[in-house]
Amino acid sequence: MIITEGLTKVFEAEDVETVALKSINLKVEQGDFVAVMGPSGCGKTTLLNILGMIDDSDSGRYYFLGKEVTRLSGKAKTDLRKNNIGFIFQNFNLIDDLTVWENIELPLVYLGWKKKARRQRVNQLVEQLQISHRKNLFPVQLSGGQQQRVAVARAIVARPALLLADEPTGNLDSMHGEEVMNLLNDLNKNGTTIVMVTHSQRDASFSRRIVHLFDGQIINENINKLL
Amino acid sequence: MLGNFLISGFRILLRQRSYTFLNIIGLSLGIAVFIFIFLYIQSEIRYDRHWTDENRIYRVSTEFSLDGRIEKLAMTPFRLAEDLRSEFPGIPASTSILFTDPSDVNDVYSLIYEDEVFEVPDVTIGDSMLFRIFDYDFIEGNPETALIEPQSMVISLAVARKIFGNKAALGKKVKTLIREYTITGVFDKQQSPSHLVFDAVVSVSTLPENELSSHRADWFRLVWYTYFKVADTVDPSRLESRINQFTDEKISTFIRERDLQVQGYTHYNIEPITEVHFNTALNYDSPTNIDKGYLYIFGIIAVFILLTASINYINLATARSLKRAREIGVRKVLGAFKKQLMLQYMSESFILTFIAFIFALSLVELLMPQFNTLVGKNLTLVGSLFSSDGLFFGVLLILLIFLLSLISGSFPAFILTALRPVNVLKGSNEIVGKSGKQHFSAARLRKLLVSIQFFVSFGMIVATLIIYQQMHFLRGHYLGFEQEGVVVINVPQDTTYWRRAPEFIDALQKNEWVQAVSAPSDLPGYTHGKRVFYVGDTNTAVLKTLSTFAVDYDFFKLLDIPVLEGRCFSRDFHDDTALRLILNEAAVDYLRLDTAVGTMFTLPQSASGEVVGVVKDFNYSSLHEKVEPLVIFLKPKWSRYILVKIDEGNKNAAIGQVAETWQNFNEGHFMHYTFLDQKLESLYSGDLKMLSLFFYFSAFVIFISGLGLYGLSSFLIEQRSKEIGIRKVLGGSERQITFMLARNYLKLVLLSAVLASPLVYYLMSRWMDTFAYRIAINGWDFALGILLTLSIALATVLIRSFKIVRQSPSLSLRYQ
Repeated sequence: MIITEGLTKVFEAEDVETVALKSINLKVEQGDFVAVMGPSGCGKTTLLNILGMIDDSDSGRYYFLGKEVTRLSGKAKTDLRKNNIGFIFQNFNLIDDLTVWENIELPLVYLGWKKKARRQRVNQLVEQLQISHRKNLFPVQLSGGQQQRVAVARAIVARPALLLADEPTGNLDSMHGEEVMNLLNDLNKNGTTIVMVTHSQRDASFSRRIVHLFDGQIINENINKLL
Repeated sequence: MLGNFLISGFRILLRQRSYTFLNIIGLSLGIAVFIFIFLYIQSEIRYDRHWTDENRIYRVSTEFSLDGRIEKLAMTPFRLAEDLRSEFPGIPASTSILFTDPSDVNDVYSLIYEDEVFEVPDVTIGDSMLFRIFDYDFIEGNPETALIEPQSMVISLAVARKIFGNKAALGKKVKTLIREYTITGVFDKQQSPSHLVFDAVVSVSTLPENELSSHRADWFRLVWYTYFKVADTVDPSRLESRINQFTDEKISTFIRERDLQVQGYTHYNIEPITEVHFNTALNYDSPTNIDKGYLYIFGIIAVFILLTASINYINLATARSLKRAREIGVRKVLGAFKKQLMLQYMSESFILTFIAFIFALSLVELLMPQFNTLVGKNLTLVGSLFSSDGLFFGVLLILLIFLLSLISGSFPAFILTALRPVNVLKGSNEIVGKSGKQHFSAARLRKLLVSIQFFVSFGMIVATLIIYQQMHFLRGHYLGFEQEGVVVINVPQDTTYWRRAPEFIDALQKNEWVQAVSAPSDLPGYTHGKRVFYVGDTNTAVLKTLSTFAVDYDFFKLLDIPVLEGRCFSRDFHDDTALRLILNEAAVDYLRLDTAVGTMFTLPQSASGEVVGVVKDFNYSSLHEKVEPLVIFLKPKWSRYILVKIDEGNKNAAIGQVAETWQNFNEGHFMHYTFLDQKLESLYSGDLKMLSLFFYFSAFVIFISGLGLYGLSSFLIEQRSKEIGIRKVLGGSERQITFMLARNYLKLVLLSAVLASPLVYYLMSRWMDTFAYRIAINGWDFALGILLTLSIALATVLIRSFKIVRQSPSLSLRYQ
């Protein structure tokens, strides 16, 4: 599903050049669950952003579902992303002015779904994730765990083939964190490919494969032995 | 404490440079325009307010009707002034001044001094009472006696400088080609803005006795302005009816004695001298008069412009409240009282307003020449500050600084200081006040204020569009005669001119580039007379008041006015030298004549004559008025103008030839000339002034609003950069997101336009009512207004949103 060849990303501040990613070669198969680990600033989130096509690499190649992403136009990337990729962020990134229901519905609006179809799908999902009693509330009125559940719902509402999660439990207590991880685990079992950035060994233990990043380079890659 | 506030305020303003810059530009422009409008209004309401007895001076005007149509004139009969002071003990002084039309080249005098010819723009005739009522500053001479002796002339300081330089003028002799005058006084009219516009006054005793007595005898010869001053004890409200009681009797006797068959009434209205400048209802009145409505409109615009600048400040300050929230929290935790915090924010707005004020004053000083050209005045900032009401102006300016800082500063101060420190310090992105709705209400306030700006901008845009179209329409409207390439020359004031006139006109005609010449007494665009006629056979005749034109043989041909019935005046008909008349269509309709040609007209106590033709209606007044019934006579000997139709392709050569012929025949006379189309254009100079003022004011309102909208939207869009990032990640296209950002403003523009439209429609309809010929106000003006307001709003919002919408979402999400 994902193949990168020599992906490199450099950030230029006024007089300092920071190499965020150095020649990353990564392969993710359909149905895989990859955890990307490493210390702060090692380039985990940058890698995730490039995989999610919301940032560009400076050199190297990136193939998604067989297409070379690095050569695509902005519009083509948007199309590819909205049809195939869902995002979960550490700080949830829900839109404050929209209700729970509207937040979840938003990707379907951008995909051009008909209203009736949207209603059906969102209703099904809020039932499934047990947030239907809160669907008319605004994000600020929810606890962190509830917010992240909404964020997961929003990420999977369009049934993406790939789910990118950036520290999904980083802002949650252990109980809520486990809840979210179980949710991701279930999704993976049902066929969703997941790439997750995390600090937490425990979260990583849910994945099938762990990639270790250090100073923008993959230093080792191992199959999760716990599985 | 206050020092602390000011220092801290300065630092904050310095730190937020772009915000400070936007605010200062907006505020200083707003204040500058306010000052300009203030100076303009002040200069208008000063008219005739400086006379020592301003509250006791009145002008008389005439309202009369002889045939059902009411005529209102600023002019009165000559004898009225004399009667007022002899018959009414409460009126110690009264005066008559001869009517002059300052826009008419015929009232330009050529004065000869030591063989040099000087032009004096506007000369009138008056008596020694004139300066007892209007106490002009006399530089030379005695105002009490200056106009007693025949052949005395009093001149303005400007004229004195022109003729005599810095030498004394008193006692000097100046000549016209018919008389010699002694300069008996020099007055300064610079400090005395007045509806009276003369540059020189000749003593009324100069007029030949027979002419004076004929004026004195005739109650219907209305060519004099009458002014009087009342004693302290007189109640002016009852004076008018007492005057009319007296004149009614006099006029009835006059009618009886002359055996005039008159039915109708004559009523004299009196008005305080300070109101004359604002009276636009009378014919033959001062050209500088202005409708007070315009001043109110300008006053409202001035306040709107200030409000617009103030709104910018409020919006930007409250929008920034998020950024200031932490600072407020810290200050509160450290023990600041709400009052102290408010003072802190007020001092910031005071500093900003004060700086803006300094900029505004410099801007006013810098742009004053352009503004003066625009409004046709000679205003100065310093002059206004040191004038009689300069203290008022100064105090107003200082009050303005405080008021502006108070209005601009208080809203943000209230909203910012109502924040709860706990919420703020918890690092919550949401600002929640005690009621939990503080943030919400600030956003609502901003929406309301932005809507007010859209409301004003939209209104001004539509008004400007409508005024522009009306002016365009007037320019394109065919007046019923050919106005291009017609030179108007006034005949020399010289009793011997008539002897050489036929040869002179003949010589003009022979020039290569001259196509036609005519020498009428009346012309379209110039003031003309009205006369009373008996229409019909002697025994069944009815009295009618009709406008009159006196012309010569070639008038209709030169101006290309078609004859519809009968014939033109012609040299082939010897009878035409007796009284022969031509009517316009409006006169035929008004008099309900089945066959106009052959109808008899009789001038009371004078000649009779018949109608020989009917011409197509032509607009002989401005398009503010409909074409009124007109009677045209043939009077080549009354000629006051020479019309020369020239070849437009060789304009300069033609003028050169005309000037050369003029020199050959009229040595010692200036050739005062103008072009007919220019003269006609000048009939709308007041309207054009309004158009340009409106245009500039609209531009300022829009610019200042745009500035505020730019600042506000860039701030709000920055605030939403996270949301924009999320939406992009979720698949929102740039176009969808841009539309989402603009949508709110679109709604506000539409709402404001809907609310403003009825008001604009009402005000513009009232303005349009002053034109007899006008365009219809249609929906397209409003649609275009909405489109323009929308485009300006969108362009402003989009310039800023473009960058943020385009940027990669990874940026906005990373910095959260």
